[in-house]
Order: sequence, then structure tokens, then C-alpha cells
Amino acid sequence: MFYGSMFFQYLAQYMKTRLQYRADLFVEIFSDLLSQAVNFIFILVVFGHTSLLAGWSRNEIIFIYGFFLVPFAVFSSFFNIWDFNERYIVKGEFDRILTRPIHSLFQIILERIELESLFGAVTGIAIMFYSGIKLGLEMHWYDPFVFLLFVIGGALVYGGVFVMLACISFWADARTSIMPMMYNIGNYGRYPVDIYNKAIRFVLTWILPFAFVGVYPAAFFLGKREWTFYSFLTPVIGVVFFTVSIFLWNQGVKKYRGAGN
Amino acid sequence: MKMKNAIEVENLRKEFKGYSSRSGLKGAFRDLFTRNYKIVPAVNDISFSVKQGEMVGYIGENGAGKSTTIKMLTGILTPTSGRIMVNGMNPHQERERFVQTIGVVFGQRSQLWWDIAVQESFRLLKKVYKVSDAHYNEHMNHVIKTLDIEPLLDKPVRKLSLGQRMRCELAAALIHNPPLLFLDEPTIGLDVLVKLKIREFLKEINEKYNTTILLTTHDLSDIEALCQRVIMLDEGNIIYDGALNSLKEKWGEGKELQFQFLKDPELNAVQNLTRGMPVYWELDEKKMVFSAMIEDNELVSRTIAKVAEAYQIRDMKINEISTEEIIRNIYEKGSVS
Amino acid sequence: MDKYIEMIRIRFLMMLAYRTNYYTGILIYAINIGAYYFLWAAIYGHKTQIEGLSVVQMTTYVAIAWMARAFYFNNIDREMAVEIMEGKVAVELIRPYSYLMMKTMQGLGEGIFRLFFFSVPGMLIVSFIFPVKFTWNPAVWGLFAVSIVLSFLINTQLNLLTGITTFFLFNNSGLIRAKRVVIDLFSGLLLPISFFPGWAQGIMKYLPFQGISYIPSMIFSNGFTRQAAFHAILEQAIWVIILVLPIQVLWSLAKKQLVIQGG
Repeated sequence: MFYGSMFFQYLAQYMKTRLQYRADLFVEIFSDLLSQAVNFIFILVVFGHTSLLAGWSRNEIIFIYGFFLVPFAVFSSFFNIWDFNERYIVKGEFDRILTRPIHSLFQIILERIELESLFGAVTGIAIMFYSGIKLGLEMHWYDPFVFLLFVIGGALVYGGVFVMLACISFWADARTSIMPMMYNIGNYGRYPVDIYNKAIRFVLTWILPFAFVGVYPAAFFLGKREWTFYSFLTPVIGVVFFTVSIFLWNQGVKKYRGAGN
Repeated sequence: MKMKNAIEVENLRKEFKGYSSRSGLKGAFRDLFTRNYKIVPAVNDISFSVKQGEMVGYIGENGAGKSTTIKMLTGILTPTSGRIMVNGMNPHQERERFVQTIGVVFGQRSQLWWDIAVQESFRLLKKVYKVSDAHYNEHMNHVIKTLDIEPLLDKPVRKLSLGQRMRCELAAALIHNPPLLFLDEPTIGLDVLVKLKIREFLKEINEKYNTTILLTTHDLSDIEALCQRVIMLDEGNIIYDGALNSLKEKWGEGKELQFQFLKDPELNAVQNLTRGMPVYWELDEKKMVFSAMIEDNELVSRTIAKVAEAYQIRDMKINEISTEEIIRNIYEKGSVS
Repeated sequence: MDKYIEMIRIRFLMMLAYRTNYYTGILIYAINIGAYYFLWAAIYGHKTQIEGLSVVQMTTYVAIAWMARAFYFNNIDREMAVEIMEGKVAVELIRPYSYLMMKTMQGLGEGIFRLFFFSVPGMLIVSFIFPVKFTWNPAVWGLFAVSIVLSFLINTQLNLLTGITTFFLFNNSGLIRAKRVVIDLFSGLLLPISFFPGWAQGIMKYLPFQGISYIPSMIFSNGFTRQAAFHAILEQAIWVIILVLPIQVLWSLAKKQLVIQGG
């Protein structure tokens, strides 16, 4: 209850700050759109040279990309922690976080909210509809609910992985370039895992389970029955990874050394 | 009845694992694979307690372990070993419940949100600390008035001057009216008027609510104005814990003599005059003022006699030794007793 | 000149200091190359050639493009933005060196570090795992070396330009991000420029981006004839010279701005 009301309190502050810098807001949204466009162009150019990618058609790949954008947008809005090390550990802001009576990770999530990233979800849904219509997909009554479940699961997978990466800062003097690079790896979940060899498929499923943020859940809506098991594993993996990440975080906080020592 | 202690610390210790970098490019390559680790105790088995309502100055040079101690007391750092009890709780273990009972001001770090108006920050903190409207109004109206920050409330923090910001920070730390207040360098970089105002305010809070205040500062005048008791730290050890007055009585014995001469001699020549006596000379080169620190009052007239015999004196003063000098002396010797 | 070389050395040492970064970096680059390799293998399917490149050449292209990126890539635009916003740049300007030159040297220090401790071992690892084809023709290596130095210069110049815009925009983190995305696509890092449809290639000819990744990677994977390689390097060099102009203009405007606003 308290955490719910805190969420809205911080949200209100966030809105006030954002409205002060409206120009920034537009640039942010614009650069998000640009990077979505770049990925889209990549798919289009690639399919200029082939008609099938390991048995998946162009529109199916586009559909997966559209789905991927939705959990990714949710993740980007709430887990804007890629510069956690520099912002909180090196500059010592984490001291301040720890003197307040709210869970430290929750506070950081609240402070770093970036709702403008949710705009990506709109693009994503639009892309899904576009390719879905081209593919002649039918919508069932349960699809929206399953979609919601998978989106939350996918966002938790991303959140869990990035929180774990942030935890490295508690133990080691790691700088942040790991996290931006990880965004690249996240992209591989957007392509059908059957194009990769066993080792990478294993990594994308169980170690850095980015396949659960794209191809696995999207396969369900594309009617690929052979992937159904993995599709419904999405929320499970999400919850497991996120829980483990919070556990690691709580351990890490005990190891926090403070800044400037 | 036994008085309740706000802070109890026993054999508190914090070690940091540091590594020393090898020098040069070659050394840096070697560091890539193996590093020289060494364990450095920042706080070395210290014990003390603070009673509710006390105002204690916690002093020491940079790197003496002040901030590390404060961070352990506020639950930011986990101790390596030892026992801490603050407001009846273990700060790190029950962090979220514990921080509800303390206020913290870091002089070099802002608690307030940079881009939004001060009162917005206050409002958010009020929710964070679950303070009721009635409590907030009663308590904060007073704080705001005393600190004179009413006109600043609708300005964004980034537009405030350092002095204005510091007053707001202090108010922010008191929103939940905590019984214990930690102030880490609260007056750093402030001008005298703001300093005075903040001191007045702290005294008032202490009297009104019996708030315990633990204060670290480089500015000893803060401590002289506020604290009856000081804890002095050096290389992670407590080297003095007691009343500021008795520190002065014990160490303040002695005088400082200041001379100005008609013809300025070399510092060595002057030092030679009192060779064999516990007299420390210093020279202010800009004003050509020679000062002699004399611990033993009986040596004062002998020193004057020797100096007067050798040089023509233009001006001379006899001063009490200031707290700052006392403390400097203590650090030079490394212990109190 | 000494001070600039000293700056390269300092950067080199700084890079060595953050070693966790270094270890994970190699791993992440390897995964990146690997994933693109599989993607391309799937795209090729049973085709032996697309746009004149075989699968092996394509793999080599991807591997070298990422490894070269380790050399030319740097964050000086973001660093400049931070220094400008925090007002540190005013201090830099009273020091007896050229700020832009110093930033370039910092980038070079980073680049040289990554070239030796990142790209070379990374390339070795990659060549064991994936079918990458090295050429042992010294002429190709020579051309490649010249070409990546020019890549570094073009990329750094673009970074300086984006960095300087911080003086005029309140917050340019969005612009910096957008620039990075555009460079990834149009420099040929993600896919060779020759894969784009003809009209798009026509436009890109008039942009400096392909000088960053496409040209050196094509040279290395033997995708260019000798003639085309010389021509491409010449194009890179011309871009390096052209880009000096907007940097100088913006920089002198920025300095004026700094004097007026006091940083």
C-alpha cells in the first residue's frame, strides 16, 4: 500500500520535472523512434536478399520485433539503471538512498522513471497489428490477457538481468560499459533462436534469457505450436530472474563500500 | 532511572580491502592479472556511547574514519565487526525502520530534488517518512520560520545559493522530527551569518525536542558553539572522548607569544634562542609575525627575556592558545595522555 | 606534443585500471560477433554469394567491423557533454593546450588500449570459433591500417561535433544517442552498405558515415579491388579534411558563447 502510494508520489514529481524540459522530452522520443526505425530498416534490408530466415517469413520476423518493443519499453521506463554505477556508487548518491525508509532498489527505480520510453510500446503494438494483418492472424478473446502476462514476464526478465548487472558494482570497480553493451545482446532475442547454434541458444534461454523477451512469447501469437511450452515459460523465467536479482541486490547492499574511500 | 542511550557502540570495526597500484605502464599490466591487496582498517575497534539529548562533536583529520563511522551509525555501511545500537536498533539490519528515527545532513550532498521547487521535495519527503498533516504543519511551520526559508520554498533547488540550500537541507532532514540528527560537515563553505543562524537553530531544536546531535566538522568554532563533548579520532582510533572544557584545561595551558621586530631576523636564529626549551616557533611571512607556542607558563618570561635581549621588539602580544591549536598539537603528538 | 602523448599514456593507464570491464568486454564482443555470424549464416541459407560477398567474407566482415569498432569507438561526446554541463570546460580552456586536441588524444589512448588488449586477443578467439578468413597479404594489412586510422579520425570528429553542440542545447543526451544509432546503421557496422537498395547507397555516398566502418571492413575482407580500396581511402581522407571546417566554426561560436554566459 505504502509502496503503491510512493509510486504515485514519485510519478507526480517526475511529471513536474519533465514538463520543465519539454524540448528534451521530444528529443528523447525522437531518438527512441529513430533507433526503432534503424532496427526496422535492418530487417527490411536483410529480407531484400532472402525470403525466409530459418523458416520464418519476413512478416513473422517483423511481428516478433513488434512484440519485443513492448516489454522492452516497459523495462526502459522503469529500469533506467544502466548508469547505476556512475550515478549512485561513484558519486555517492547511494548514501542518500540508504538514509530513507524505502527499499533502496525501489527508490532508485522511482527516481529514474522514464515514462516517455513507453512510447515504444505504441510503436510495437502498431507494428504487431501491421504484420499481424498481413499474416492474416486471428485474435482470440484470451490474447490480450496472455499478451499482458508475457509482456510483464519479458519486462521482468530484462529487469532481472540488468539489476544483476548493476549488482556487480557492489563487489567490483566495474564501470558501466557492460550494461550498454548488454543492450546489443538483448537484440538477439528478437530473432528466431533456431538460427543460432546450441550454445548460444542455451545462453539466450537460460543464462541471459533474452529469447523470452522476443521470439518465445511472440511465437505463441504466431501460432507456432512447437514453442508453446517456452511461450508460457516467459512469466516463470521473469519472476525467477527478478527474484534472484533482488536477493543479489540485498546481499550487495551489505557489501556497499560507500564513495570516496 | 538509567538514562537511555541514543547511540551505543562497542568494538566497532570497519575494514576496507584496498589495492595499491603498481607504478608505470609495466606495473599497470601486471595489475591487470594480479593485484596487491591489503586490508586497511578505517575504524579500529572503537567504543563510545551518546546519551539522548547530547550534542557531540566528532572530529578528526581527513581519513581519520569520521565519515566511515557516521555511515555505519546511519546504516549505510555494514560494520566488519563490533556492536552498534542506535535508537535501540541495529542500523543496518533494520535499515528501513531505523532510518525513520534519524535525520541526516551531508554537507556536500543534496537530499533535495535538483529540478523541482523546495516545497515539492518537502512534500515528497513528508510522504516518504509518513508524517501526518497535523504533525507536519505544527513542526515544520516552526522550522521554516526559524530557518527563514519561507521565501525559498517555491524556488527550484538548483537556483538556490549554498547557504540557502543548506538551510533547506537541514529543514528537509527534520521533516519527521527525528530524535537523532547526524550532521556531516553542515557548515562547509558557508558564510559567517548563515553559520550563526544554523547554530542557533540547532541549539533550539536540541532544547525543544531533546534531539541528540552528532556533528562532524572541520570548523572548530561550530563545536565550541554547540558541543559540550567531543570525540576525537585519529587513524581509526578514538584518542579523546570527553568535555571540550577539560581538553582546554589540560592542553590549553600555555601561551602564544607574537613578536614583530624592527629588523626581521631569520627564523632559525630565533629558534636558536630557545633551543632546549619546549617552545615551537612559527613565522607568518606576509606580516613578518613570529609566534612562539609555549606549553609551560613558567617559560613565558624567560622566552620574552631571551628574545628582547637579542632583537629590538616593535610589537608583542600574549595570547591564549586556541582550540584549533590545541587540537593541532594533539594530532602532532598522536595521543592525548 | 609531449603533453598530448602523456595524455594518451594516462588514458591507457586509466583503461587498465578498470579491469572487470576489460574481461567482460571481450566476452560481450565475442557474443555479439557470434550472434551476427549466426544471423548472417541464416540469411545466406544455401546461397553462396550475396552482393559479391561469400559467407566466409561476410563473417570476416562482421568480425573485423566489431573489432575495428573497439579501436575507433569512444565516448568523448558524452564526456564533453558532462564537462560542459558541469562547467568544468571553463577550467580546461585556461589550460595551455587545445581542448579538442586533448579530447582526441584521450580517445586515441583508449583506442590503442583496446586495439592491443581487446581487438587482437578478441580476433584470435573469434578466428578459432568462426570461419574467419585472414589474408596474409601485407598490402591489405597496410591499407587496412591506414583506413582504420582514418575511421578513428572521422568518428572522433563526429563525436567532437556532437559534444560541442552541448554548448547550444540544454541537454543533448538524446542527440548523442540518436547519433550513435545512425552511425551503427549507416557506417556499415550492422550490414555492408552494398546490401542497401541502390537509391539508399546513392544517398550514403554523400555522407561521411561509411568511412567509419564499411571501408576498413571491406578492405580487410577483400571485398574491394585494389583500385576501389585506394579510392575509398582517398574518400575517407577527404572527409577528415572537410569535417575540420564545421568543428572549427562551431568551436569558435561555442567559445564566444562561453565568454558571454560564463560557462
